[in-house]
Amino acid sequence: MLTFIAALIGLALTPVVGGLLAGVDRRVTARLQSRFGPPILQPFYDVLKLLGKAPMVVNSWQVMSAYIYVMSSALAVLLFFMQGDLLLLFFVMTIGAVFQVVGALSVPSPYAQVGAQRELLQMLAYEPLIIVVFVGISMATGSFKIADVYAMEKPLLLSMPFLFIALGYALTIKLRKSPFDISACHHAHQELVRGVLTEYSGPHLALLEIGHWFDVVLILGLCSLFWHTSIVGMVALLVVTYAAEILIDNICARMTWPWMLKNVLGVGLVLSVFNLLWLYVS
Amino acid sequence: MGLLENWINKGRLKSPWVVHFDCGSCNGCDIEVLACLTPVFDVERFGIINVGNPKHADVLLVTGTVNHRNKKVLKNIYDQMPDPKAVIAIGACGTSGGVFRECYNVVGGVDQVIPVDVYVPGCPAKPDAIIDGVVTALDVVKAKLGLGEMPKVTVID
Amino acid sequence: MQSVSGDVHPEVSRLSFVLCYEVRMLDTLVFGSVVFPLLAALAVYFVRGDAARNIIVPVSVAITAAAALGLAGLGSFSYSPQAILGISLNGLITVLDFALLGFIFLIALRMGNLLIMGLTVLQVLGMVYLDFFLMDHGTQVTGFYADSLSLTMVLIISIVGGLICFYGLGYMKEHEEHLHLAKSRQPRFFFFMLLFLGAMNGLVLANNLSWMYFFWEVTTLCSFMLIGHDGTDEAKTNATRALWMNMAGGVAFVAALMFLQKSMGTLSVQDILAKSAAPGMKTAALLLPMAFLCFAGFTKAAQVPFQSWLCGAMVAPTPVSALLHSSTMVKAGVYLVIRMAPAYQGTMLSAAVAIFGAFTFIATSALAVGQSNGKKVLAYSTIANLGLIIACAGINTSAAIAAAVMLIIFHAISKGLLFLCVGAIEQKIGSRDIEAMRGLFKVMPRTAVITVIGIVTMMLPPFGMLLAKWMALESAATATAAMPPLVIMLALGSALTVLFWARWAGVMLGSTVPGENPPSEHQPFTVRLPLLLLAGGAVGLSLLSPFVYSMLVAPATALYAKATAYTVSMGVFENNAGVFAVYPLFLLLGVGFVYALRAAKKVGPEAASLPYMGGSQKVVDGKIGFNGPMNGFVETAAGNYYMESLFGESKLSKSINVIAIVLLAVMLGGVL
Repeated sequence: MLTFIAALIGLALTPVVGGLLAGVDRRVTARLQSRFGPPILQPFYDVLKLLGKAPMVVNSWQVMSAYIYVMSSALAVLLFFMQGDLLLLFFVMTIGAVFQVVGALSVPSPYAQVGAQRELLQMLAYEPLIIVVFVGISMATGSFKIADVYAMEKPLLLSMPFLFIALGYALTIKLRKSPFDISACHHAHQELVRGVLTEYSGPHLALLEIGHWFDVVLILGLCSLFWHTSIVGMVALLVVTYAAEILIDNICARMTWPWMLKNVLGVGLVLSVFNLLWLYVS
Repeated sequence: MGLLENWINKGRLKSPWVVHFDCGSCNGCDIEVLACLTPVFDVERFGIINVGNPKHADVLLVTGTVNHRNKKVLKNIYDQMPDPKAVIAIGACGTSGGVFRECYNVVGGVDQVIPVDVYVPGCPAKPDAIIDGVVTALDVVKAKLGLGEMPKVTVID
Repeated sequence: MQSVSGDVHPEVSRLSFVLCYEVRMLDTLVFGSVVFPLLAALAVYFVRGDAARNIIVPVSVAITAAAALGLAGLGSFSYSPQAILGISLNGLITVLDFALLGFIFLIALRMGNLLIMGLTVLQVLGMVYLDFFLMDHGTQVTGFYADSLSLTMVLIISIVGGLICFYGLGYMKEHEEHLHLAKSRQPRFFFFMLLFLGAMNGLVLANNLSWMYFFWEVTTLCSFMLIGHDGTDEAKTNATRALWMNMAGGVAFVAALMFLQKSMGTLSVQDILAKSAAPGMKTAALLLPMAFLCFAGFTKAAQVPFQSWLCGAMVAPTPVSALLHSSTMVKAGVYLVIRMAPAYQGTMLSAAVAIFGAFTFIATSALAVGQSNGKKVLAYSTIANLGLIIACAGINTSAAIAAAVMLIIFHAISKGLLFLCVGAIEQKIGSRDIEAMRGLFKVMPRTAVITVIGIVTMMLPPFGMLLAKWMALESAATATAAMPPLVIMLALGSALTVLFWARWAGVMLGSTVPGENPPSEHQPFTVRLPLLLLAGGAVGLSLLSPFVYSMLVAPATALYAKATAYTVSMGVFENNAGVFAVYPLFLLLGVGFVYALRAAKKVGPEAASLPYMGGSQKVVDGKIGFNGPMNGFVETAAGNYYMESLFGESKLSKSINVIAIVLLAVMLGGVL
């Protein structure tokens, strides 16, 4: 019961953390581009404004999809805080990802269609990596339960460094960062508009944004499992990881989907196989 | 409910996402609009983001004269912006039709087709004037929400 | 669980009276499952006329389903009928075996197909050698044996199969109207459908491998006849291909029979499994026939490199695809592989089977991504799931076997449903192409939503398929035989699966007005009822998955390994490797879903907007497009990425086949 209440509190705090992260991200990105940047709270202003806008939709499926997306992402985060099954929370997160695409595909808009197809390819790129990372964790700890990770004595990063890099690929895609920001990039005004998010607007766009925060926090939470032994180590690992993400975002161009598939699956899976064999032997 | 409403109103004034529509401009004003996004002017300080989609936008920036061919497009884009929203006409052409005002194919300024809240004249308009225009447009929105008075000057000089 | 034996001689004691009564009961039930469909088939064939058929088919499938339920209620049994109408059953089946092979030989002769003739002759020679030289006719072999695995199969065959036959009534009427036939060929169609039901029940209940072989060949024949039912050139070619591939599997089956009889001295599945448990038994003498049986199973389950026959089989009328080529007949292949799993547990053969299954899973999932033909997507996805089941059998732990049985159950329902949906859609819009189904919701709202339900139950939690896939992945990762390549193939394969399902579901829901409620389409009752029942079954049975697991799946896995696969309490599956909370998930996701639906309903037409088209959107005749040059209308056209350059059949098939043949060679060669 106590875990459940703690998990609920964690769940409530997640959007706050996600929004703040996004704010810091925008600020740091601006500084990297020698700009001043928006206030740290800017993502919250954006979402609040969107919540206050008049709803505007093409059909009802979009509305349904937006709600299912945010709901399943929240549920996945709840499962994470409940220290549940890694694979299960990943599958729950997939519900949201699928419905985001379904909502976009239900609209006869060329931009949403292109974005949806690209989103699917992004899922194709990151899903195997996340599953393989979980398999690595299960080989190291003997199970898929998060609780068993915390029972380990040594940080996972020491035995799974390459899988952590593979997870970094997944994180980059999930954060919608360059070079993998191909499905919903807001810089691609002319050719993509906003891709998979084009036809969502106002409150429904706000829901998707909040769901996105949940997803980001969840994947960062997965990264944090790699240094569970001390809070300091955990925070340091996350800070370094996120800083690396921002840096990569700022020095990379947006690439194409074939490049993404080849690169992510090629490099990511080779790294994973290598690390899994290492785990298997030791 | 009141608290959430307050927060939402705060968000509305701190996050004006703009969509830029070139309604037949000579590209002079367009370049100045884009200049606002550069590190020199950095409009993101005000929470302004240049979006490519009227459905995500709060403020419509229009450059250039309106002609018979594209007035429908302008109207469509305006209609696809969810409320509350504001429109800024930029440059001599956008505000009045400019030097093309008397042409046979020209309708005139933006306000001939959709309601304009703020005018930013100039040939081309300066980036700082454009930013000033967006901030003034926020005051217009504020006044429309009943939270303040209508700004006295809606033509940015 | 009760166990009765057919060999008990009735005596006058009270106990034996009970036994006798149950044997009678069993007699009737097995008769109702296996022989009765044949009689019904004959009745349908000879009593022509729509009215008679409309009565015979529903009544007989209802009786078969009732018999299946009765059998399931009775629990596991072994039962050895000696004779029917005074004729020895063993002899009868031997005679029928040769008659069947002779019949297939005649068909091959008429087609002038040397390959099939050769394969048939090989089988005949093998059977002659087996029956007249190897077989010791003195030993008794229990004819039928049923445990939870067989009974699960019987339930699927009789209930899902029955519903599909019922659907066939309405479907075939419309199908023949499209074809403008002078004389209805429905008697022939339903003859083979019902015959197939009986043969399939016989196959899964048979304990004597030579009986199983007979039923196996009957299903091959039914499949051949039904694929070629429409008589077009394409149908004939594809039917021939299916026949030779399945006959090749039959040859492997006969070879396995010969080796088993020679090395084990029996063809009883139970005896072989019992003997194989003894230490030091898992030598080439046992493993070679097992490898042959697995090979036979692979051909039946259309695993790579035999995938082409199942894709070709999609020319058949949709009930055939649903019944034979997704829900049941192809499951005979995986059934055989699972049935024999204990015999090769812990050997290299088991690992090879796992790798082979996983390879089929990823290869055919990739092929499905490159397809826009809906039925072909379903076919490839069927093969992929069968590959996953085979991989589970190869992993061969109790959790993996549980995953395999769960996959069999839930796949049969969801995939059967999807086939029926595509059939209904095709009859309405005249195409089975996914691109043609864009915005289907406006034309066939109910069928579109049911299809989406079918797709969602195939790929998302908390539904049964995903629960089974979760079991499969976790058992693959935690089994001692876990090899990185196996896990990576499963991970990639499941990502590919999500890709092709999600985009199909998305395009069908297209609509352009919020709160739109298109008029419901007209559909024959015999089509609508199975759709509704199967959709309800796919969702409802997933909700009941803890019960399904403890009643059907757990007893089936108990036969394979001592360790319990999962403990189930309060609808939460748990073992050392992980935990899957079915009820909490159903509750939370259900509440969320209902809330999402209500939110969607609240947004009315006042919030309507057209898609963003650069400001020049235009609507003409309800179609959305651009205002083009000269104010002309340019309709928007969008298509899914099928990525033929990466996932096309022509691109992949060759290398997949080569790898598959190498894997098979390694599997067979590794045994020796």
